[in-house]
Amino acid sequence: MVTTRDLEAHFEFECRACENGHCRKADVETILSERKGLKEFYEAFKEHIKECKRMTYGQYMFVIDREVLPEAVLWWHNHPEFKETHLSTAVGTDERPLNGKFVYMPFLNVQVEPQNMDENYWVFLKAYMPADDPSFPSVAAKLPAALWIEREVKDLLGFNPVGHPDPRRLILPEDWPEGVYPLRKDMDYRHSPMAEVKTEFKEKPEGTTLVPMGPVHMGIEEPAHFRLFVKGEEIVDVDYRGFYSHRGIEKTGEGRLTYNQVLFLAERICGICGYQHSVSYAMAVERLADVEIPDRARYIRTLMLELERIHNHLLWVGIAAHLVGYDTGFMHAWRIREPVMWLVERLTGNRKQYGMNIVGGVRRDILDYRKEEILKVVKQIREETKKFIDIALNTNTFIKRAEGVGILPYKIAKAYSVLGPTARASGRRIDTRLDQATKTAMAYNEVDFKVPVYKEGDVLARVLVRMDELFESLWIVEQLIDQMPGGDIMVPIGDLPEYEEALGFTEAHRGEVVHYVMTGEKNKVYRWKVRAPTYNNLPAVPEMLKGYHVADAPLIIASIDPCYSCTERVQFVDVETGKVKVLTEAEFNELSIKYRGVF
Amino acid sequence: METTAKLAFSFIGVLLTFLLPPYLDGIARRVKARLQYRRGPPLMQTWYDLNKLFSLPSVKPTKSALFTWAPYLALASAVIGALLLPYGNVVPIDIGFNLVVFFYVILMVSVFLMLAGLTVQNAFSHLGSAREMQIILTVEPLIAILYGVLAYNAGSLNISDIIANLHLTPSLVMTYVLLAYALYVESGFMPFDIAEAEQEVIGGPLSEYSGRLLGVFYYAIYIKRFALLWFFVSLLVLPWVGPINTTLKAAEVLAVQFLLTVALYPVIASLEATNARLRIDHVVKMNTRAFFAGIVILAIAFMGW
Amino acid sequence: MAESLSYTEKLKKWNRFEVEKFSKKAPVTTPYPFIDIEKPPEYRGIPHINPEKCIGCGACVNACPPDALILEWDKKRGVKRLTFNAARCIRCHRCVEVCPTGAMEPTNIFEIATDNKEDLVEVVEHKLAYCEECGEYLDFTERQIEYVKAILPKEIIDMYALEDRIGLTQEAKMRKTVEKLRETEGNAYPAFILVKKGGEE
Repeated sequence: MVTTRDLEAHFEFECRACENGHCRKADVETILSERKGLKEFYEAFKEHIKECKRMTYGQYMFVIDREVLPEAVLWWHNHPEFKETHLSTAVGTDERPLNGKFVYMPFLNVQVEPQNMDENYWVFLKAYMPADDPSFPSVAAKLPAALWIEREVKDLLGFNPVGHPDPRRLILPEDWPEGVYPLRKDMDYRHSPMAEVKTEFKEKPEGTTLVPMGPVHMGIEEPAHFRLFVKGEEIVDVDYRGFYSHRGIEKTGEGRLTYNQVLFLAERICGICGYQHSVSYAMAVERLADVEIPDRARYIRTLMLELERIHNHLLWVGIAAHLVGYDTGFMHAWRIREPVMWLVERLTGNRKQYGMNIVGGVRRDILDYRKEEILKVVKQIREETKKFIDIALNTNTFIKRAEGVGILPYKIAKAYSVLGPTARASGRRIDTRLDQATKTAMAYNEVDFKVPVYKEGDVLARVLVRMDELFESLWIVEQLIDQMPGGDIMVPIGDLPEYEEALGFTEAHRGEVVHYVMTGEKNKVYRWKVRAPTYNNLPAVPEMLKGYHVADAPLIIASIDPCYSCTERVQFVDVETGKVKVLTEAEFNELSIKYRGVF
Repeated sequence: METTAKLAFSFIGVLLTFLLPPYLDGIARRVKARLQYRRGPPLMQTWYDLNKLFSLPSVKPTKSALFTWAPYLALASAVIGALLLPYGNVVPIDIGFNLVVFFYVILMVSVFLMLAGLTVQNAFSHLGSAREMQIILTVEPLIAILYGVLAYNAGSLNISDIIANLHLTPSLVMTYVLLAYALYVESGFMPFDIAEAEQEVIGGPLSEYSGRLLGVFYYAIYIKRFALLWFFVSLLVLPWVGPINTTLKAAEVLAVQFLLTVALYPVIASLEATNARLRIDHVVKMNTRAFFAGIVILAIAFMGW
Repeated sequence: MAESLSYTEKLKKWNRFEVEKFSKKAPVTTPYPFIDIEKPPEYRGIPHINPEKCIGCGACVNACPPDALILEWDKKRGVKRLTFNAARCIRCHRCVEVCPTGAMEPTNIFEIATDNKEDLVEVVEHKLAYCEECGEYLDFTERQIEYVKAILPKEIIDMYALEDRIGLTQEAKMRKTVEKLRETEGNAYPAFILVKKGGEE
């Protein structure tokens, strides 16, 4: 087994905590002095902090009283020095089988210095709540980024965010029975849906008409329901009701599958950024098992991630063109994209859902003669994309539609913790690839690239950010091919430690993907939390829509590159599936009648 | 010319009106596909689509009779509009002042489309209808002024008389240019297909239509586009070929009209393919500007240039 | 000639027919359902169970993320049934990786649409080994036992006397151990002695 010490010797980590033995047991003083800001926070909340520990490299946890959660979150989020710090998301866990308590744990991406992965870190603020009173003070009124997060734990775990300004249902369907919380460990599967559907829509403002965009609409690729309140053609207010493609993925992953099986489920969270999820999950498990993966695996992962980014950006720009009726742009963007798909099909065995990862490395090696082919495709893509952008940006009507539309000011972007290209187009200098310690699973620290940032915040800026990024990705791929080290492509993991927590993260083409994993017994996962970037970006869309035309709505919505399935993860729950047990058809029919609506 | 020849030309006109428009759309689809490096559907595809739609029943979301009748009325208007135009030198429906009739009949297609959208309780239909109305309100005055220039130039309100008597002046050239724009907008081709924008208002007034009624509406729109294009082509060709006395010459002129129509459609298709859809406020602004330009042209024409 | 090429060479030689078209800039689309499309040799298609190689060990079942492979025992008939359902398969080829005998064969078939669901199901039935001693079926298949015998070194088989004991149920094995101990060096096994003595007294 590889120890942390070896890992650090290899990567030249500057971790002084290890001098005292195993990292997780390092004493508080050393932990706090490791990174800037930790000590300051500890001093400010001294009376309320019960425990602090280092989960793994660059991830710190404070066990804190629930009463001060809002202050603590805001302390970090609005830290005057750490400008781009944002509330990433929160995890709610039912730890009653372990210690009789519920856990609510928001965590933040702290940016001490932009794009310095050895300085920045993650902070987890863990608050225990007694089993009979799972409530915590809400921060959503002051920090809109927490709006959805708190509604989600309310739906799925029955926590009560006291003082939440908008405590409607977010995730569960309208006819879900009251008082049934799917992510609790003692969830009973035999409830029937409510006889009466409970709809909670926002009230229509005076003098407006309702334009329901969705649940099924041509301009939205997946089910989502934007209720636009319009005056004439101008949008006055917006209500969003989504989570129609809630699939119960987190619950399925918990307890039932082994850690390597969850990996393939993770990959299927998203249709196009699946590899990002797969890498994030693998990284989380590797971090908590404290293993070092071989260099070659890191390089291959990075290569696939960047190829994925290239074809996803091309896909997105095609869709954006399609939504303003510029079908020629759409077809050409996808035509340019196709060779990348062909390439990855030959590299990994599939166009999408590469199935390339395994916890501890990758499954297929990149054969040497392939390098030429990759470089050829990269060259071709670069030339064709240049031509394409030239034409698209010289199409007057296209520019007219994209410029000055859907403006998202920096302040709102920060308040909603908007991520990825959407944030970078509004002037936020964030990119998880460089901001956080991705070096344990990916090789971004060994390549050179720029992170494009625009200040305008309109749809055109989002197009330009993505196109610039595409060229950077091409450049990264070329460097990776050039520097590809030799060696193994995977290391076996063996058994996982029990009840350990860690975070895995990547920068998908939409923003930061976060996978939180807490292991259970027998190599199973006790709690698995997925946060796709759209989860943070989507609540900001109503802000972008206000004041613009109905005609712009599809383009503005699409400009964040929304992925509803990623965001909505969780409904179908596979219950008593022992591996061996098979239902006959009659049994199955009987069950499906009994559990109608639950399945 | 003999009556039989006249009848034959009228018959050809009717045939062209009914058969050609879907083929023209097929050509446009093919051209667009090639610009997008696609294979594209066969030329008959639009016919196949219409055929399928005609054979399907329609779902009617309202009891309003207008909802059922609007497609047929639109189709009738479009057909009449097309038959008011010269084929060779023969106008199938030759009545006095037929320029005015043509103007209104073509307008009626849009009006029926708009009214149809207002008969149903659907936000997208209403939005589409509102957009259609804004386009009509801004582009029709422009067309009226341009028709006025033509009528003033030729001293008549009858299309065949106008064509026979046009004389080349700077104002006429400008009128042609502006007319090309106005008719393009009225046809509802790509940057201006705002009323039916699929990605925004899912078909606008057409969003509640299905089956046969939808097919009829599409057919009416294709014929309207054909009529407007044929009108413009006639203005381009007929005044400058000299008097048409013989049947042979008339046939030649008809052939030129036909070929030019077929040749111009790909041009339109490529314009469609290389543009994004505009927003309604953009179009209103552009149309208003064009309207003032039209007034200037009218003034120039009055001065005799 | 084709057989003499190594796998890597084969991969190198394979070319996608659209790529050539692509460079000519003609229409880049293909009239897909009307022509055959060949997937590259690397493509992970629907796997297929080779019943001749399969020993019924269930390694694939343990690895399969979506439960496309299922193992059932029918002790009455003495059969172990391995079912592969291509409709559930996510084409990750984990089963291909873990199969000890190479019975899970990768293909590059991707068109599995059918009008009959049963076309997608493959069933392999194995005979369970029969314990002569107690007249019951074991959890293992006959082939599994043969395979174990084939791969284990002679010394180990001898050391544990697997030759006679491998085909027995757990109970029969224990009984046999007891008998053997009783026969040969019974007093070397303290617990046994205690019980025995207690019984006698």
